Amino acid sequence: MNYFVIGYYALLIGASCLAAYYSARTVFLLLFSLTLVSFIVGIVGGESSLWTITICAGLLALFGGTAFAFREFLAIVLPTEASKAIKTAPLTATFGLFVIMTYAIAGIFAPIIAPYGEAEVIAGAFAPADEHMLLGADQLGRDLFSRLVFGARNTVGIALLATTFAFVLGALAGLIAATLGGWFDQLMSRVVDVIMSVPSLIFALLLLSILGTNAFVLIVIIAVIYSPRVFRLTRAVAGNVVVMDYIEAARLRGEGLWYLIRREILPNSTAPLIAEFGLEFCFVFLLVAGLSFLGLGIQPPTADWGSMVRENATLISFGEITPLFPAGAIALLTVAVNFVVDWMLFRSSGLKG
Amino acid sequence: MADEKKDLLLKIRDLRIEGYSDEKWLEIVHGVDLTLHKGEVMGLIGESGAGKSTIGLAAMGFARDGCRISGGSIEFDGMELTTTSESDRRALRGSRIAYVAQSAAASFNPAHKIIDQHTEAPIHYRIRKRLEAQEDAMELYERLRLPNPQEIGFRYPHQVSGGQLQRAMTAMAMACRPDLIIFDEPTTALDVTTQIEVLAAIRDIVEQFNTAAIYITHDLAVVAQMADTIKVLLKGNEVEEADTETMLKSPKEDYTKSLWAVRSFKRPQKSRPGGDAVPVVSVENVDAAYGDTKVLSNVSFDVYAGMTVAVVGESGSGKSTTARCITGLLPPTSGKILMNGVDMPPSYKDRTKEELRKAQMIYQMADTALNPKVRICDIIGRPAQFYMGLRGAALKSRVDELLDLIELEPSKYYNRYPPELSGGQKQRIGIARALAADPTFIICDEVTSALDQLVAEGILKLLDRLQKELNLAYMFITHDLATVRSIADEVVVMKQGEVVEAGPKNEMFTPPHHPYTDLLLSSVPEMDPNWLTTVLEERGVDNIGEAATV
Repeated sequence: MNYFVIGYYALLIGASCLAAYYSARTVFLLLFSLTLVSFIVGIVGGESSLWTITICAGLLALFGGTAFAFREFLAIVLPTEASKAIKTAPLTATFGLFVIMTYAIAGIFAPIIAPYGEAEVIAGAFAPADEHMLLGADQLGRDLFSRLVFGARNTVGIALLATTFAFVLGALAGLIAATLGGWFDQLMSRVVDVIMSVPSLIFALLLLSILGTNAFVLIVIIAVIYSPRVFRLTRAVAGNVVVMDYIEAARLRGEGLWYLIRREILPNSTAPLIAEFGLEFCFVFLLVAGLSFLGLGIQPPTADWGSMVRENATLISFGEITPLFPAGAIALLTVAVNFVVDWMLFRSSGLKG
Repeated sequence: MADEKKDLLLKIRDLRIEGYSDEKWLEIVHGVDLTLHKGEVMGLIGESGAGKSTIGLAAMGFARDGCRISGGSIEFDGMELTTTSESDRRALRGSRIAYVAQSAAASFNPAHKIIDQHTEAPIHYRIRKRLEAQEDAMELYERLRLPNPQEIGFRYPHQVSGGQLQRAMTAMAMACRPDLIIFDEPTTALDVTTQIEVLAAIRDIVEQFNTAAIYITHDLAVVAQMADTIKVLLKGNEVEEADTETMLKSPKEDYTKSLWAVRSFKRPQKSRPGGDAVPVVSVENVDAAYGDTKVLSNVSFDVYAGMTVAVVGESGSGKSTTARCITGLLPPTSGKILMNGVDMPPSYKDRTKEELRKAQMIYQMADTALNPKVRICDIIGRPAQFYMGLRGAALKSRVDELLDLIELEPSKYYNRYPPELSGGQKQRIGIARALAADPTFIICDEVTSALDQLVAEGILKLLDRLQKELNLAYMFITHDLATVRSIADEVVVMKQGEVVEAGPKNEMFTPPHHPYTDLLLSSVPEMDPNWLTTVLEERGVDNIGEAATV
């Protein structure tokens, strides 16, 4: 027994008692079951496992606190409409927003934030972290932290462009197909079926081998592969809007196709499309990272997270966690985007209260 | 006194219900009292938002999602429903208190046979075994005069008609022989000819089993047939309560009187302009089909400037299809549509802007007829911009003028979105959009049927005023003959895609009629509480179903 263990249990039991006293049912249950779990884990794993629990709880509290503070901050800063929406947002959503914002800042201001250039060799291969290099060096002696920051710009940038392009392509075709119907709808739907019937990774590998790998080709190929899903969603959503009386009224007025799509149909289908954009972005992002890992994505020496995982993968067998940083960056962004998308889906589905 | 106490079934005192909106609880029912004895039928009437359905559900100890019972007491047969546990309350529902919803089609589960849904409650409460329950169901179907009572229960909900489904639902409510049934607008979604069958069936079965009932409706003439006492509600408050006779003959409160007076709006009938006046729209021998199914055959009628032609008939009679042919949404297979004597291209896609401008349409459901994401000024302004090329200040002054015309204050509504408006206001915006094109002919497709009576009257008066000021021609599609009486100049009766009878209104409303017109007219509920009995006697009770299919 030392002071840490005594303090640990005293804090937990004291907090449980307080929760019980103020009849906060769920808080009490949570705290007290944590106490019971700690007993068992403490006996089995000793003091170090209690430290692990403490650190996890501390991290969780940190994330929660960040999310809460960020929500309050946004509620004050944003205009009234948006601040009303943000006030009712769950903490997961604001945490996601916070992470996305951090990534955006890192990506946009990469040259200012990163201490070294992305291709600059400054130390020996696999040099350990010191006061110059926050996370150590990679297999060629380049600063890993700088490469991570530049990777945010390259990987996220390409994924964002590809997703946007896929959306413009898919949504436009979907809206026109839903509005016109008839042969155009049939033609587009069959084309989409053909694209969807080929496994996306194999399709991408094939096209990249034929057309060569540069950023532009990469973006176009990913956009083409992902646009069918957008097309199907848009067509279904717009299909529900097209049958409304106000569309009939606009048609009878003699309005053209472009007006119908832009002013009447699109405003009524944006909510699911935005949510789908978030989801689709995750898939595209993972595909970009995956292609890089396979060596067909962004080419060296440009930094990107997928190839960084591959290049440093050997380190993992020496017990180093270096390759996990880029992988963690991918995972964190994916989770953050999904948090935000969940919230948007919840709002657009009207499952409120 | 002792006797009265024994008969007491439901006693609601100072009932208060709150609804959750904009992050706070607002009271929507402000202390309503209600007393119901065994075998008694009470009618609850009022406009939408009066709290009728909310009170009806509260009688079962139930509050909808986002609502809560915040005060008062609900005593059902000596049991206090506000304090009993949820499981005890659930045990009451279906067995001792039953509920019949407005739309049977939406309330039945389409994946199960009617009889399986019927027998669910009695089997669950162990009142009857499956086979007994099925036999009982067939007996109830027979009493409710459903065709083929032995067999109809084994169909799925989509395989029977709306009126039959509503009766099957009433039978289902009777399955456990409850003490109280709550009817929530059971006939509102039905045609008059079907409504009369359902009304007769409900009244008979309630009388036979001495069941108490709360009958919720906004149609006074219907409640007059069904209820022993009537309670009038307004915005969650009771206005007055009295037995049916007294209530109909001498209502005390001004609000009740105004409800009663709605049906008295009438305007003088105009006759066709003489000489060689050309009709604004004339439909000549039009046939139309959806795919291979023929829906219109040989429809012809004329509409002259400044006149209203009402097209009546039950659902499926081809009223709205005729409108679709005139607007060009459904090109006729043969026949012609003439406007001011000029032949129109059959499809709207081939018509010129000018041709499209002259015929405008007002829709039944203002909710779906206005784009919820577009501001009022843009909704009304677009036709003016599109047809007349108005821009900037000229467009704004035109929109202001139109808003004035439909009696909405321009400064207040200019920048709003449709979901922020009430049903009546939305319908007015729909009218303004039609007027913005400066048309000569407007099709009004059931424009008042989704509105409360007082609001509907306001819309009818507005349409009438606009017709006088702008010399508009209306084609007024409706199944409500009370509306026809008040505003039509000429009437066209349609049945199964054919025109059965047509002529000036006063001729149409005086005998002799075509048998179908006669059936339609006699099915319109009247304020006389004995109307249903009289009509049924005239027709011979057993022939109702057959009469409807003549």
